[in-house]
Amino acid sequence: MTHPLALIALLPLLGFLLNGTFATALGGKKFNNTAAALIACAMPIAAFALTIQAFFTLQANGYAPIVEPLYRWALVGEHTFDITFYFDRLSAVMTLIVTGVGSVIHIYSTGYMHDDKSFGRFMAYLNLFLFFMLLLVLGRSMLLLFVGWEGVGLASYLLIGFWFDDLANAVAGRKAFITNRIGDAGFLIGMFLLYGAFGTLDMDTINAAFAVGPVTVVSASLVGFFLFVGATGKSAQIPLYVWLPDAMAGPTPVSALIHAATMVTAGVYLVARMSGVYMQAPDTSQLMAVVGVLTAFMAATIALVQTDIKKVLAYSTVSQLGFMFVALGVGAYGVAIFHVVTHAFFKACLFLGAGSVIHALGGEQDIRKMGGLRKHIPITFWTFLVSTAAIAGIPGLAGFFSKDEILWFAFASEKGGAPWLWAMGALTAFMTAFYMTRLLWLTFFGASRMSHEVEHHVHESPLSMTGVLGVLAVLSAVGGYIGIPHFLEPQIPLPPVVEALEHYEHTLLYVSIAIAFAGVGLAVFMYSGPASRAAGVAKAAGPLRVVLEGKYYVDELYAAVIVRPLAWVSEHVFFKVGDKLLIDGTLNGLAGLAQRSAGWLGRAQTGSLQFYALLVMMGMVGALLWSWRHV
Amino acid sequence: MDQSQLLLAVAAGLFTIGLLGVVIRRNALVMLMCMELMLNGVNLSLVTFSQQRGDAAGAVMVFLTFVVATAEVALAIPIVLLLVKHARSLDVDRYSELKG
Amino acid sequence: MLFLREPMRVALALITSMTSLGAVYGLMGVHFIAAFQVVIYVGAVMVFMVYVIMLLEVKEAPGSRRFSKVVLPGVVVGVLLLAALGAGMLRGTGSTGTLPGEGRQAFSLVEFSSAFLTQYWLVFELTTVFLVGAIVAALAVVNVSRRRQG
Repeated sequence: MTHPLALIALLPLLGFLLNGTFATALGGKKFNNTAAALIACAMPIAAFALTIQAFFTLQANGYAPIVEPLYRWALVGEHTFDITFYFDRLSAVMTLIVTGVGSVIHIYSTGYMHDDKSFGRFMAYLNLFLFFMLLLVLGRSMLLLFVGWEGVGLASYLLIGFWFDDLANAVAGRKAFITNRIGDAGFLIGMFLLYGAFGTLDMDTINAAFAVGPVTVVSASLVGFFLFVGATGKSAQIPLYVWLPDAMAGPTPVSALIHAATMVTAGVYLVARMSGVYMQAPDTSQLMAVVGVLTAFMAATIALVQTDIKKVLAYSTVSQLGFMFVALGVGAYGVAIFHVVTHAFFKACLFLGAGSVIHALGGEQDIRKMGGLRKHIPITFWTFLVSTAAIAGIPGLAGFFSKDEILWFAFASEKGGAPWLWAMGALTAFMTAFYMTRLLWLTFFGASRMSHEVEHHVHESPLSMTGVLGVLAVLSAVGGYIGIPHFLEPQIPLPPVVEALEHYEHTLLYVSIAIAFAGVGLAVFMYSGPASRAAGVAKAAGPLRVVLEGKYYVDELYAAVIVRPLAWVSEHVFFKVGDKLLIDGTLNGLAGLAQRSAGWLGRAQTGSLQFYALLVMMGMVGALLWSWRHV
Repeated sequence: MDQSQLLLAVAAGLFTIGLLGVVIRRNALVMLMCMELMLNGVNLSLVTFSQQRGDAAGAVMVFLTFVVATAEVALAIPIVLLLVKHARSLDVDRYSELKG
Repeated sequence: MLFLREPMRVALALITSMTSLGAVYGLMGVHFIAAFQVVIYVGAVMVFMVYVIMLLEVKEAPGSRRFSKVVLPGVVVGVLLLAALGAGMLRGTGSTGTLPGEGRQAFSLVEFSSAFLTQYWLVFELTTVFLVGAIVAALAVVNVSRRRQG
């Protein structure tokens, strides 16, 4: 096979084209649901198989990166832009996650979206997303990464607004896309700076250039800052996280795949990939850590009071992404990727489990109307339990390992670790354990608060869904033992640890375990008792609760400060003055000018023969005089 | 000025007066007659030049001009007749249907 | 001719001019051209015009203007034209030859006719064509008018 890496990316594209043409109304729905499902699932699975093969090739070559040029895209003067694929340890990890988790979510979707009238379109969009995501992680040059970056943004927009008959969904999709675009502006500036300095956008070359020492042609901090701005958009950090909760308007498999496992981790991947730059940029790294921990904390506080099952998980995702950025900020890039992997497992499992619950309840998403489901949908319950334990940090499961490592490096890394970072992170971990257990409890335990018809129809999901849940639950349990930071270490070294603090490692480990159990315990205590216990606490924290429920009114702030003035300017300045007055006015003015001058010149056509003869005479005089100038 | 220059001046004068007449006068028939005057002016200048250079070409062209003038009058008169029948007047200002 | 009111008087003025021009040709020595001038121009063209003037019985409405609307600009430009032609003539190359009566032989008929029929035979053919064309066109005009009438 000549271009294995390219094939990994192109197979989902083929799936998109086939399904997009024949399984949708565009092509007259020639494929029925079964055929569409087969094509759509076969492509990611094939890509996964190819990825495994590429991984073994990589291993056999001693982990020397595989570089696979495909096509010379552009040649501008002396600047060349190639499409080249690149496979090293980091790409291997990311690609395996993307194709692996992607495949199982595709399989899940065939069950979940089974009755949807636009099934073919959904599967086509999922494949499209996978294609762009693979471009993102397999690209050698930032240009190809950016293409993938934008493409996943597009796929996200299409999928969030999938049920576009409801306007709110379309608006949510638009919000996601526009917020991402703001981040992309920063990303582009970073790319321009890098290109101007190095004349190439190949990430391995740029990293190598920064590795030899501080670079003078461009400030690493500046570049790092702009790339981080792009990452905040894609990976939902402050200030550009506002799209992620709204993105829950899309179908649940979308939330699982895009807004938990893969797309939102693209920002983390970008920073980890450009670790060479960030290692030379202590200021930006510090900023990243601070933003990350603030985001994590803020999102966790909001998640405490959410009542929609998917919204809780959405804020949880924002919070976990904050954790990843904390790790990136203190130089522990490999640990951040580790958390990406474990997060993919348990968050996908959680989201798909939520989807299973919603499917079982016929569309209900409010946890205040659930309860006691563990008897009705046992498989969903057990998988949800395992992944909740994983995210809470119960020792032994995947989340515990990655989160603990993050907290350790936040405390003790020489590159920016600080006790207050650790403290906020630990507090956030406590809250994570609490609200996830709250979610679990309110959904599956206790007395049933469901209405009668809903309760009557509760049924376990089909095998396509529960099988996937099982696989992901197993991965959530054992995934922590893979030891990714050490796998990545030859390529992305772990930061050195402050020597004086080294002996705290075990202490912090025990503290983490204690926090996890404390959070779980508190939630069980509060919600398993009579309802008044939880209600009492809620009333006591009255105004705080209002603020949290209003999500700190960030959306309202943006609307007032950014959106409304922008809309005003667009309406009054650009539309009225620019468009109507200047552009239309110019065109109409030109046309009017032509008309008036034609009318004026037309008066020469008097129809009088003698007038014409007079003109001939005048012409003759003029010609005579003129010809004699040169005689 | 010597003789040839005088003749050429006369020719130029004939031509100009003829052209002027075409522009100035309103009557269609008078316009036609002024055109004949123009042709005469041209003929005179041709003959003068021919005599100056001793070249027969000028005389031949004069002959051609005669024929052309004849043919032109033969055609112009019927056209004027038709125009008069159409507009019932010899005033050229009435023939302004090509206006605009 | 420019200022006479009646077309008949204009025609008579023109006849006078043409006859004098014929005399000029004769004085220059080109007698055959003089003959042509009188016979063709005065004898055919002007007679035709006089016939037409008579036939049309032009009844100028009393008080109708003699001059067209573009009189003044016309006169101005006419003067300009005359000046331009005069200036051109004065600047032009000096007379390269002399006129007969100043030491040259006049142009003779023999020279003319031999040149006409040998060297410039194309002109001869052209004249033929012109005349035929004139006849055909005249017939066509007559037909048109006949068709209009009936």
